[in-house]
Amino acid sequence: MRRAAILALLTLAACEPGSKNTAQLGYRGVGMEVVTDPDVQRARLAANPVPAPLPPAPPGGPVARWQNVQVLNELSVGEFTRTMTAITNWVAPTTGPEAGCNYCHNPANLASDEKYPKVVARRMLAMTRDLNTNWRSHVGQTGVTCYTCHAGAPVPRAGLWTYTDQNQYLRAYLDKSDVRVQSYAALPTTGNRSSIKQTEYTYALMINMSNSLGVNCTFCHNSRAWATWQGAPATRVTALYGLRMVRHLNTGYVAGLGEVLPDSRLGVRGDAPKVGCATCHNGLHKPLAGAQMARDYPGLWGHPGPWEAMTAADSGKSGITDYRDPTGVPTDGSAPRLPDAIPPSRSMGTPPPVRSSSAHAPLTRTAAAPAQQR
Amino acid sequence: MATITRPSTTAGPAAPRTSRALEYQNLFTRVQVRTAPDWGVPIEQRTWVRQTTPGFSYWLGKLGDAQVGPVYLGWTGVASLIFGFVAFEIIGLNMLAQVGWNPIQFVRRLPWLSLDPPAPGYGLAIPPLAQGGWWLMAGFFLTTSIMLWWVRTYRRARALGMGTHLPWAFASAIFLYLSLGFIRPLLMGSWGEAVPFGILSHLDWTAAFSIRYGNLFYNPFHMLSIAFLYGSTLLFAMHGATILAVSRLGGEREIEQITDRGTGAERAQLFWRWCMGWNATMESIHRWAWWFAFLTTFTGAIGILLTGTAVDNWYLWGQKHGIVPGYPATIQIAPQKAEDLRGQYMGVPADTFPGATLGRGAVPAAATVPLPGARTDSAALADSATTGTAMPNQPAPATPGSSPPAVVPPSPQAPAAGGRP
Repeated sequence: MRRAAILALLTLAACEPGSKNTAQLGYRGVGMEVVTDPDVQRARLAANPVPAPLPPAPPGGPVARWQNVQVLNELSVGEFTRTMTAITNWVAPTTGPEAGCNYCHNPANLASDEKYPKVVARRMLAMTRDLNTNWRSHVGQTGVTCYTCHAGAPVPRAGLWTYTDQNQYLRAYLDKSDVRVQSYAALPTTGNRSSIKQTEYTYALMINMSNSLGVNCTFCHNSRAWATWQGAPATRVTALYGLRMVRHLNTGYVAGLGEVLPDSRLGVRGDAPKVGCATCHNGLHKPLAGAQMARDYPGLWGHPGPWEAMTAADSGKSGITDYRDPTGVPTDGSAPRLPDAIPPSRSMGTPPPVRSSSAHAPLTRTAAAPAQQR
Repeated sequence: MATITRPSTTAGPAAPRTSRALEYQNLFTRVQVRTAPDWGVPIEQRTWVRQTTPGFSYWLGKLGDAQVGPVYLGWTGVASLIFGFVAFEIIGLNMLAQVGWNPIQFVRRLPWLSLDPPAPGYGLAIPPLAQGGWWLMAGFFLTTSIMLWWVRTYRRARALGMGTHLPWAFASAIFLYLSLGFIRPLLMGSWGEAVPFGILSHLDWTAAFSIRYGNLFYNPFHMLSIAFLYGSTLLFAMHGATILAVSRLGGEREIEQITDRGTGAERAQLFWRWCMGWNATMESIHRWAWWFAFLTTFTGAIGILLTGTAVDNWYLWGQKHGIVPGYPATIQIAPQKAEDLRGQYMGVPADTFPGATLGRGAVPAAATVPLPGARTDSAALADSATTGTAMPNQPAPATPGSSPPAVVPPSPQAPAAGGRP
């Protein structure tokens, strides 16, 4: 008896203690539900604090005319200053000679683009406006702010990824749309030649999304038939637009930053960090638990500026950057699956490193555009 | 009718409820015999004789017979071990190379290390060693080793004048192994379809295999295989428990009791007649077990061979044949938007994502053109208007260029989801 009791206790040691919450997401009795652990949920919420909004700027006032402002150029002086303060709090709040305002600006000449974070920040502002204006299919009326990803740090806290090898499965966040592998016909056709290996990449991508949002598969899928929309929760539609949105952000705004970022910010293969679901979500199925931060900052809504035309042109291309090796060195799973610990030169079948190409919208450190006049 | 021999008074049928009653319900063998080693029946000796003077092991005797040996290897056994060792070395050294020959990393990452088959782009060609050639070679040596071991089991069974039930049950498992790693890849025209060598990677392969082919649970041969597998465990538990329960009555001497029934067999069989109304015999219960074990892997292999060759999506196949129950849907998508949502599944050569295995110039241009017929059977997954309760979390209104789904209000007249329109 004692032996049995000890065995039973050992078995239970693998369980997480405490009660769980279950929410039904689909028809009864088919396992369409999401299970959450209140302790885990509390920890996740604690990891995603929401700062209070700054006091509103006085209404009205003249539209500012600046030397080198290209995105926030329809704001009043008060609102512009307030937005700048908020961005400082969200991205570089620490004090010091190279922090705060000076993280991006040369204090002697605020209009200068000599510091690379300023160039990046301008592009990120355009991206934020693009998101809040054109991607309501995913961000809804909540929108995003710099804080959604940055959370008080110059580099977003989660979900950034770079190429580790050519088989980086997160590539679907950048320029690959062919994630779907199941056939739409019961019997074999010549149309679908998806392999098991392709399926494994899709599988890995889905698990990445699942971890990013802190949810299980049935949060979006009818797990008895992944491809079908029948019986799938409506969240899957939101997630689909999220995937498209992430591709748009990476191809249009983020991947091209490799030209301005210093080498220390680049990945092992020389490409800029790119965003994924976790960059905003950070373990919650609604970023910041759905807090509507962007509502209080009119500067984050509106026309994204000259980038919209550029990104529209970029997005029209299929696979804006081809990271495959043009020399044709093949790779497959025989290459190391966990390359971070392995010197590339010593592993089997690892191709030579590639740099991201310059197919993105041009970005220079000098102020290319003249001061906006209104 | 054989005479029922009552056991001696020390272990009568109505044994007292003391620790003696537990003696027959323990986990380990309680009695070990020590005598001159048993060399077995005399058989015709050929090239090899039985070797290794038998010895006794107390701890092995706890689990089974305490006698170890004699061992007979023969040329098939020796060759099988050599081939198996080569396969083991190929797999292990490849994994070691993947962690830069670092033994500590090798141990830490062993569950995730894998020797993978060639990428799909190679088809059935022989790729360079680092691109799957090692996998092919390991598969050859492992298969040869297994086949030689099968020959050995067959010849040993014959030499002892036994039936060949064991070799043929083993052959069923080998058939499943070959179906997964050799026959089906041949039918599909790509080594890339085969299973990798690795602890977690072969499990990942299993999951991906089911996902790619639309949920293997709807494969009837998978169903049969599961039924026989679970049936095997049930039979094993029932039989093992029955024999242990009558071992104090001599019931574990099964073979004797087949021909000369004793108290143990009589009681065990009466027990099942009381509980089920019917019972297997001391001989037929083993035939049951043999067929269940044989059919587990045999039906499984058939299910594997049909997947991708005869059926591409088992869920849709099940829907077509009425084995997929329908449930009310929870999402409403207008037919004109379903197409947009469905997007484009691959329809492209298997070697274009992710990370082509061949150089761009090496892929024939014709192969990159999506083939027709890819989206013909749209009815099954197109999700034309379904009914159910609207979820509050619907996406926001349309934005130019991104085509969100239009939301159809719930219609109580619409047919239940799950059936074909």
